[in-house]
Amino acid sequence: MTNLSRRDFLKLARAGFLWLSGALTLGGLIRFLDFEPNPAPKTEFDLGPAANYPLPSRTLLADPPAVLWHTESGFSAMSLACTHLGCTLEDGADGFTCPCHASRFDADGRVTHGPAAQPLSALRIEMTDDNNLILHTD
Amino acid sequence: MRPSFFHHLHPPTIPAAQARWRYTLGAGGTAIFLMIILGVTGILEMFYYAPNPQDAALSVQTITYHVPLGWLVRNLHYWSAQLLLIVSAIHLLRVIFTAAYHRPRRFNYLLGLALFVLSILLDFTGYILRWDMDICWPLTTGTNLLKTIPWIGNFLFRVAIGGGEACSTALLRFYTWHIFGLTILVVILGFWHAFRVRRDGGIAVPPARLRADNTRISRNELVRREVLAVLIVGILLLLLSSFFPAPIAPAMTGKPSAVENARAPWFFLWVQQMLTWGDPFIFGVLIPLGVLALLTLIPYIFPKPNEAEIGSWFPKSNRLAQIVVSVIVILVIFLTLLSYAN
Repeated sequence: MTNLSRRDFLKLARAGFLWLSGALTLGGLIRFLDFEPNPAPKTEFDLGPAANYPLPSRTLLADPPAVLWHTESGFSAMSLACTHLGCTLEDGADGFTCPCHASRFDADGRVTHGPAAQPLSALRIEMTDDNNLILHTD
Repeated sequence: MRPSFFHHLHPPTIPAAQARWRYTLGAGGTAIFLMIILGVTGILEMFYYAPNPQDAALSVQTITYHVPLGWLVRNLHYWSAQLLLIVSAIHLLRVIFTAAYHRPRRFNYLLGLALFVLSILLDFTGYILRWDMDICWPLTTGTNLLKTIPWIGNFLFRVAIGGGEACSTALLRFYTWHIFGLTILVVILGFWHAFRVRRDGGIAVPPARLRADNTRISRNELVRREVLAVLIVGILLLLLSSFFPAPIAPAMTGKPSAVENARAPWFFLWVQQMLTWGDPFIFGVLIPLGVLALLTLIPYIFPKPNEAEIGSWFPKSNRLAQIVVSVIVILVIFLTLLSYAN
């Protein structure tokens, strides 16, 4: 280290500062862009009075894409967002089909044809005190 | 006279072999012309386009149906963008099939490839700016593909769209990437690419001692040919824009239902087709990136072609690269057609 001349030291310091400021700028840019200004997607949806869904019934919901059943055992719901890449499934006679990549699911949400690998997820239904239905997607 | 960028690209004379239509196909120059059209029409569209989710699709309708000549501006922008991808692909294939990519043009080959990738991203972001019913599923799958990338997927997703749900929030970021982030890169790399063409000795031809024909053409002759290409492409653009309007769909109001068009833009159909096969990370990210990596490595992994053969079509010494790239091209076209058939 004693051999380091003043000129070499200054060169080294200059290079060091340039690299450091470059790295700081890049880090700052990444932090700047990595902010979510948009609200997280809603996870609670008010479906209105339970009386709108008589017994027995099967209702397709548009937003969020889901199917809502009312049976003897009560209300239940299943997401209709494809587990592959998130497109909304088409309702058909023998289950659900994805318009984007042709995954197929049976009426209970099990995969019958890829590329999707995961079954459709059941969604939680909540009944409020004034008999409103709330759908939870989380 | 002080040398200008124009004179840098148009020296007093150049070897005639460097400017033959049947060799260059005029593809590089045509790409520059299309980029200029894209810049001008893009700026004109910005006078009316409203980059917020409520008004975007309506402002596109305003441009298309109400602004005088707005339809022409939008259609020219659309068709220039689609032609740019085709012309860039032809340019890339020309460079590979004539073995023009080797030293000293290796670096410029990489610049060109980067410009090609940026053009694809610009086409996709521009397509999303329509913000109508048709763009929701391609946008959803495209951005969800980012999430499948291990470690950095969620970060890339946030950088691309700013979080939230793609079909309700991605517009502002896509707008900024399209108008500024990607465009400024294309402008810088585009000038650099054109500058390097001359710096590397002009368009690839064998050295003078190996050339069969050593005639030269003048600057005027070169410009005359460029003007001819501009006229032909300009007429083609006007015809396409007049008779084949750019796609437009009703404004997006909430999530579109499943029966809406779920087809990716044409240049991504081959990826969409592969995605029907299974794991999205492998088929939607790894394989497309693998194709890109292979194209990037071409000047580095294949042997240097014979000097006398540079600048002629399908030279023997470059066979392996021709076969590899042909296979890729055939597969991509085949997958695209398969996707249309489904």
